[in-house]
Amino acid sequence: MVVDEIFELVSYRIHPEPHIRLNQDVCQGCTHRACTFACPARCYTWSEERARVEFAYEACLECGTCLLLCDRGALDWHYPQGGYGVRFRVA
Amino acid sequence: MPLATQKPLANGGRAGDAVDRGATPHGGASVGGGSSAGGFDAIVVGAGPAGTSAALGLAQKGAKVLLLERGEYPGAKNMFGGMMAYCPAPEQLVPGFWERAPWERAVTKRVLSIAGRESSTSLVFQARSGSERSSVGAGSSSDRSLTGFTLFRPIFDRWYAEQAVAAGVTLLTSCRAEGLLMRDGAVRGVRIAGGGGTAGGDDVVEAPLVIACDGALSLLAQEAGLHGGFKPDQVALGVRALYLLTEEDINERFGLAGREGATNEFLGCTEGIRGGGFVYTQTETLSIGLVMHLDSLKQKAIPPYELMERFVASTPVAPLLRGARLVEYSAHLLPEAGVRMTPRLSAAGLLVAGDAAGFCYTNGLTQEGMNMAMTSGLLAAKVGAEALAQGDFTAPRLAGYAKEMKRSFVLRDLRTFRRAIDFLHHDRLFEDYPRVVSALMEDVYRSDGRPRTKIARMGLRAVRGVVPIRQLIADAIRVGRAYLW
Repeated sequence: MVVDEIFELVSYRIHPEPHIRLNQDVCQGCTHRACTFACPARCYTWSEERARVEFAYEACLECGTCLLLCDRGALDWHYPQGGYGVRFRVA
Repeated sequence: MPLATQKPLANGGRAGDAVDRGATPHGGASVGGGSSAGGFDAIVVGAGPAGTSAALGLAQKGAKVLLLERGEYPGAKNMFGGMMAYCPAPEQLVPGFWERAPWERAVTKRVLSIAGRESSTSLVFQARSGSERSSVGAGSSSDRSLTGFTLFRPIFDRWYAEQAVAAGVTLLTSCRAEGLLMRDGAVRGVRIAGGGGTAGGDDVVEAPLVIACDGALSLLAQEAGLHGGFKPDQVALGVRALYLLTEEDINERFGLAGREGATNEFLGCTEGIRGGGFVYTQTETLSIGLVMHLDSLKQKAIPPYELMERFVASTPVAPLLRGARLVEYSAHLLPEAGVRMTPRLSAAGLLVAGDAAGFCYTNGLTQEGMNMAMTSGLLAAKVGAEALAQGDFTAPRLAGYAKEMKRSFVLRDLRTFRRAIDFLHHDRLFEDYPRVVSALMEDVYRSDGRPRTKIARMGLRAVRGVVPIRQLIADAIRVGRAYLW
């Protein structure tokens, strides 16, 4: 699947600090967990073990889907700092 | 540390000098208040088609313009699998635009495919080829207004921004706008990341006019209170995979010559999610992807990349991709709700253009965005230059921009097709009707030794059990009002 190869297909300059922060306390009450299936870069995954949504920012494509679908305001959402994040190019 | 040395500039010394003059270190700002020495007259946020058009238009009227771009280069953050429809705006900004702009193919062939389970049905539009006429550019249709252009945004946006820099615009790349600088109820500049990009300690760049072209999330306009944040039912997620092929293979598979291009849109390939699929030809690559309304995606809970996997393997698409290599994947949001999502377009000291103003739409037959972005950028520049000449950046003065937009094709088209845009928010169109069309066309072409019926009866059979007749009639009226009268 395309998302399995995302780091081979997409060029990133990854900032050491995440540009999106997930507030687990707020996230806990969510019933739809839309971010776990709607994020096109699969940055959000549900962990049965920890019974919570896990978030990894590195593969983020900066589309904003999570920001609009998170109706609890669990995300502190920013674009990556200038010059960081995804960089689309012509291969 | 001077700003100019913190943030590498994409376009060399002249720009750097201007930034140095424009903003001083650590929260020190440029001289505010109109075009005082060293200060910027306007700050444009986002070097996409809207922002660069606005910056270019203002610079050509003599304004000192700072163009901010958060990517390392203009176009680094843009997903575009698409086609820029012809429009006159860029030619007003860059003479010979359509000859000079680095487009990939001139689209003369448009295909709309309706995919059912067992078959798909396509409508093919093809403009007469104008390849032999050098005056219109290789591959263009002989009627340019029937031509669209496929292009790569990392190449196009960079080239376009270079035209702005050549006109005197100061381009600052790798620079994220943190927010607006507000004073006395008016926008007076932009906050940008300060001291080496670490958190806190924003720097401020002042200017009497800010033009927000910061894309589909429209965060600056939201901050200014011009809208309350776009909603999931107003935007769509687009995902795109880029496949490498040869120019010859593409020409052969799509029936094209030279730099002629084709686009193919698909309805019924999204497993009930409101949206569609697309295939666009670039010179030696294909952009293939899906667009899905966010609220519908949430409801159906199908991961976009899984849907994509099935789309590229589907009967109409798979043969186009034989031997092609996947080389890039991207995702982006698209404004899709037309006038229902148009924010207020201005506030004191602020104008909004492009995707940030929701100027992007599809009515199911055409998809437009870049032409609207450039036109809105051009008109923002026009109103901005008038405001600068009068030194009046009040809300009533800048409201002239909304009037200009209402007169332009942008808001008029969004209004004309508002019912079509609404119609595209009905689930039936994306699953039930494609099945009906397929069932009907299968009956038209089926030859099994039994006598055929006339088409109306076939149609009734195709509809039965899928769409109630009453619903069908209501939808027919809806389609009529949306597209026909």
